[in-house]
Amino acid sequence: MKKRNWIPGIVGAGCAASLLFSMRAPAEVSDADFKALQDAVKKLSGKVQAMQQTNGLQEKLHEEDVQKINELQDKLSQTQKAAATAEQKTAAVAGQAQTQPVLGPPIDEATVNHNFMMLGDAEFQWTRVQGEHPSFLLADFAPIFLYRGGDNVLFEAGFDTTLANNAPNSPGVGTSFDLSFAQLDYVMNDYMTLAVGQLLLPLCTYTQRGAGWLNKIPDDPLAVDSLLPGTGAGAQLLGAIPIGSGGEFFNYAVYGVNGPSSADGTANAGALDLGGNVGVRSDGVTANLHANLSGGARAGIFLPFAPHYDFEAGVSGQSGEWDNQGTHLWSAGVLDVALHLGSSFEAKGEYILTRFGSDDAGLVKQWGYFGQVGYKLAGLNLNAPLINNVELVGRYDDVHDGLGTHTRRFTMGYVYYITSTFLFEGDYEIFRSNDSTVPHNQLTFQLSYGF
Amino acid sequence: MKIGTHITFGTLFVIIAVSLAPTLPLTPRVSAAPSAGATPAQTRTNSVASQTNAPPKVVEPSPQKVKNRRPLTGAELYSINCNRCHSERYPTERTAAQWKTIMLHMQVRANLPVSQARLILKYLQDNSGR
Repeated sequence: MKKRNWIPGIVGAGCAASLLFSMRAPAEVSDADFKALQDAVKKLSGKVQAMQQTNGLQEKLHEEDVQKINELQDKLSQTQKAAATAEQKTAAVAGQAQTQPVLGPPIDEATVNHNFMMLGDAEFQWTRVQGEHPSFLLADFAPIFLYRGGDNVLFEAGFDTTLANNAPNSPGVGTSFDLSFAQLDYVMNDYMTLAVGQLLLPLCTYTQRGAGWLNKIPDDPLAVDSLLPGTGAGAQLLGAIPIGSGGEFFNYAVYGVNGPSSADGTANAGALDLGGNVGVRSDGVTANLHANLSGGARAGIFLPFAPHYDFEAGVSGQSGEWDNQGTHLWSAGVLDVALHLGSSFEAKGEYILTRFGSDDAGLVKQWGYFGQVGYKLAGLNLNAPLINNVELVGRYDDVHDGLGTHTRRFTMGYVYYITSTFLFEGDYEIFRSNDSTVPHNQLTFQLSYGF
Repeated sequence: MKIGTHITFGTLFVIIAVSLAPTLPLTPRVSAAPSAGATPAQTRTNSVASQTNAPPKVVEPSPQKVKNRRPLTGAELYSINCNRCHSERYPTERTAAQWKTIMLHMQVRANLPVSQARLILKYLQDNSGR
């Protein structure tokens, strides 16, 4: 018990000592320290005020940004609405375009330039004839000018411009500019058209449909070239009459032209000039070389079975005097046929028979024919681009001139369609003739373009 | 020979007289072809092919008989008649007015019926380039 009475005394002494110690501590901070502390407090309070001001500005900027964002969001929503509306309108217009046919532009009849056109073709050849030097042949430019006057009148004229060397041992070249045809067409009604001028004669069909880029073989058939006149000055009535609902029709042509003439005024067989009578003599006299004209006609029928499947046949003829005295007749008869079986196969041919009287050889009987076939390799469905553009062609020619010469010709070739109107053709021709001046074989390449 | 010439021109005179007679029945004028016969897709294909200068693709039609069915459209008549001598030209190659001049030329050259030429022209103009 006596030891325990010491503990409260010790505790009390400690408390008294701690109080004394604590009362002496403030007395140890100097004035300088206090001022420094006071300055630091002032600086800190200034910084706090500056930060508060900065924070206020930032809050204002933030509020402005929020306003701008809200405005942009409003504009975005308006733009989206406008875009959606435009899309709906576009879809509606597209829908209307799909349901309504697209109409072409109105025909401007007042624009005269649209009534005038130039069509035609151009050819360029390279040929190697057996026994002769190979050469680039003359270039041929054959424009056709069309002028339409209203709905029923058309003037059309075709020209042939060629360039060739002059005769051997003569310098320079010669340019020829020939009028192939020039005719005025007047559609009188649905069944009859009047054509006057230098006409492409409807003797056979080859002459009328034989433009350079249409020929699948560069050279014309021998019989057509040598036995028939291609053109004649005169007048023609032609027309066609539908005879069924499937595209069938009958067509006809009746014409009168000046007809053939004599090259030297005599009635000798060798003087026959098929295209030489145009109504104006070389001495300037306006008159025919003989008294009477020639008359001719063609009747044809066209029977399509389906698109690209058709058959056509025609018979044509012409007769009239040819010598200056008018004592001899020249007459011709032609049978023409054409067949298409699909878009790949074509066959056509013509048989030509002519007769004319003469002083020296009596009645001269001429005849000839040709048959031609073509097959487009696209019909094989090989899906090969180069092969699909190739058409193989072949032709057989036979012609008797009635004066003892008989010539045959085999032609094999191809047509490469660079485009539908730009053709690269090549063929090899084998001649057989009792005329020694006729070449034996000939290789020809031709570029032709139709426009 | 004079007799033959007289017969020829006598025939010409008679034919002209008959053709100008007002009693000659005419086929009805086609004011508007019912259908061009070519779908817009076909027209677009042709247009693109023309621009690429490629030869026309040979489209083999079904060889169904033409007889005993609806009247032929201008597109069908175009395919039947023009392809006989040359590849079919794209309607977009010419303007409507140009096609009018060309069709008058081809109507005479190929001696086509006027009624058929009119339908072909309608098809070409409806699908013309400009």
